[in-house]
Amino acid sequence: MLKSLTKAALFALATAGVVLTGPSAAQAEYPEKPVTMVIPLGAGGSHDLNARIITSIVPSYLGQAMIVRLTPGAGGQKGTQEVARSPADGYTLLFTHNYIDMLQQYVESVPYEPMKDFVPIARVNYAPVSIIVRADSPYQTFEELVAAAKAEPGQLQLGHSGNWGAFFVPAAQIMKKLDFVVNLVPYQGGGPALQSLLSGDSDVTLAFPSAIGELLEAGKIRVLATAGDTPLYEGVPTFSEVGITGDIGFMHRFVLAPAGTPQEVVDKLTVAFEEMSKDETFAKLMSRLGESVDHMTGAEYQKLREQQAEDYQELVKNLTSQ
Amino acid sequence: MIEQFTQGLALAMRFDTIALMSIGLFAGMLVGALPGFTTLMAMAILLPVSFFLDPIVGIPFLLGIYKGGIFGGSVPAILISMPGTGASVATSRDGYKLTQKGQSRKALDMALTASVFGDTASDIFTILMIFPIAYLVMQFGPPELFAVLLMSLIIIAATSGANPLKSLMMMMLGLWLSFIGTDPLGGVERFTFGLFDLKSGIPLLPMLIGVFALPEVTSVVLRNEKGRKLAALMGERLTLSELRRCFRTIGRSTMIGTAVGIVPGLGQIVAAMLGYSAAKNASKHPETFGEGELEGVAAAEAANNAVNGPTMVPLLTLGIPGDNVTAILLGAFVAQGLRPGPQLFEEQGATVFAILVAMVIANLLFLIIGYLSIPFFSRLVTIKTSVLIPLVIMFSFAGTYVYRSDPVDLLILVAFGLFGIVAKAAKFDVMPMVMGFILGPSMEYAFGQTAAMSNGNTLGFFLTERTGALAVLLVTPVLGYLLWKRLYHKAPVAA
Repeated sequence: MLKSLTKAALFALATAGVVLTGPSAAQAEYPEKPVTMVIPLGAGGSHDLNARIITSIVPSYLGQAMIVRLTPGAGGQKGTQEVARSPADGYTLLFTHNYIDMLQQYVESVPYEPMKDFVPIARVNYAPVSIIVRADSPYQTFEELVAAAKAEPGQLQLGHSGNWGAFFVPAAQIMKKLDFVVNLVPYQGGGPALQSLLSGDSDVTLAFPSAIGELLEAGKIRVLATAGDTPLYEGVPTFSEVGITGDIGFMHRFVLAPAGTPQEVVDKLTVAFEEMSKDETFAKLMSRLGESVDHMTGAEYQKLREQQAEDYQELVKNLTSQ
Repeated sequence: MIEQFTQGLALAMRFDTIALMSIGLFAGMLVGALPGFTTLMAMAILLPVSFFLDPIVGIPFLLGIYKGGIFGGSVPAILISMPGTGASVATSRDGYKLTQKGQSRKALDMALTASVFGDTASDIFTILMIFPIAYLVMQFGPPELFAVLLMSLIIIAATSGANPLKSLMMMMLGLWLSFIGTDPLGGVERFTFGLFDLKSGIPLLPMLIGVFALPEVTSVVLRNEKGRKLAALMGERLTLSELRRCFRTIGRSTMIGTAVGIVPGLGQIVAAMLGYSAAKNASKHPETFGEGELEGVAAAEAANNAVNGPTMVPLLTLGIPGDNVTAILLGAFVAQGLRPGPQLFEEQGATVFAILVAMVIANLLFLIIGYLSIPFFSRLVTIKTSVLIPLVIMFSFAGTYVYRSDPVDLLILVAFGLFGIVAKAAKFDVMPMVMGFILGPSMEYAFGQTAAMSNGNTLGFFLTERTGALAVLLVTPVLGYLLWKRLYHKAPVAA
């Protein structure tokens, strides 16, 4: 027991130590002071928890402490704007997700230009959604669900985590792709949406793996399909297998820097995040949160962003023109 | 079940559990007492520390921070009329008046005792009734939440101020203020005049500090008493007979708080206000409420702490976090290899009971830690006002800024400070405004969800499918009228 206490104390000391000491060599080379990572979301969410782990591991590869600053507001626009207006020196980064990053600009006027104002550093991981129903639901397969929705358009209730959010967007994309309509009901977060499914208020909902595990094992829910083309659960088809192709149903968590950040700074950060993704302690801590590590360099992720921009623009045009 | 319970009891009685829980409680209390710092932030930052600890040590550590933080928030509310969260607004009303009367120590003691009692009783109730509560939680959807929120607002308006009409006006103002910003459902901007700074709405903290703390500061300054103190003394400790006098109130508030905790989405703020309103209504001398009534402090504090037990139920039985605090706890559970959910009790029964028992132990520990700390806190008010007032002003501005580092928040603080001063002079109570502001968005969201669920036929939906919600909606005006009549029939106001 004493051992684990000591470990915790050491961990706390290490975090504090990095802040206090920093690199001793007196060159004016990046990074010479702690780096701030802005999260445009509130405390206690999955980004916050992911960031707590990132900022406790990445300093050992960056040689500087990294501090989390939560700047929630205006659906993520407040924090995003703050970083867009920060000096492009690599000391202010943004930790965000693809719906804030690429979708919002088409829904409302945002005080920045996501593509022009930012350069991606690294994608840390992603969360794939699954389509779930209650175990006693009459719909055994994804096809049966779609058939039911087509038979009675707008009658099935789909609870999601909020308009233009991580569950709403894939649901809308799938509806469009397979040409059916369900009634989309917003809840204030994924937890309440899941609860609405279990209580019977919703017929179907979407969820991330971290929320599904226990309920599936306990036989309370049935998974009908999962995002991507790698099967996640035995006997459950992937989105590709049921005809939903493309980057649909993934919430990517990634780090952006203001555009114009010097290339050597971008390179340093890129290397630091890449090294971090190979760190065993990092992987262990992330898996304890129920999260994966799926590193992608900024350059690779930029290609996804460009595709998202096209897809989302079309989706929003489609949904708002009706 | 019994066997698991006794095993759990044995597991929880460990020196390191108790030591870390004490540290958590103390740290939480300090963080909670500082305006601008929230318990939630402290929990998120310290979450990784708990990964390295044993589950029976790590989770009670986080629970300690949480529980300490809630009480910590009522310290500035009582001493300098500065509620840091909505949950301590009701406490500050009578608490600060008691401070002015030189009884700050009594008020803090009462807040502590009532908190601990409310929390303990609701924890024990939760442990015993966990599965029935889990069933009840499932009966509340958006329509029911909307109905209960509307009823709560009516009760608050009918019982808070001296003049219900003025209260209602202030509540309407608060509701309107909550509309400013981006509409939570449709994403449409309302009353922002194209200003980006208003897009995310008016933040709560500057409003709370502005309308509650700044007018008090101003009135102390205007009295211009050189070298005086806010209160000459911190007063005596709470006596047993005073506690006994408030016992009915504490019991009532505990029941109200527990019931509120069962309804997902209501929370501590509603509990505190309803507990306070109920105590005022039941009292033989309702006119003393708001003028430094010890029972008022007891009512609010017992109720807002009693919420904690039942809010853990969806997390423990289904693995679903209802708010950000429980989301952090979920992170801590999962990190320890405990997957909250339907099977948790079968697989890890002893550990879960150990954690629940630890919650109860945390309360008892807190009674001791709090009791020993209160004299230090309450000494604050015996500082000369010429020193204290600048300190309070500094904390008002620093606390507002630190929350999200946005200078616009300081302008909002000053604006609400001026508003608070004017309202005080005109004898308008700001409490209904704050409550309308806090509860407005939840009520609006619940209504929007109901409209979406019913495909637009909202009235028909209430009539045919949601009879529970309908019943609450029908009872509301009657209840509002009765409360109003009962409290004001002796001195009817010319309305």
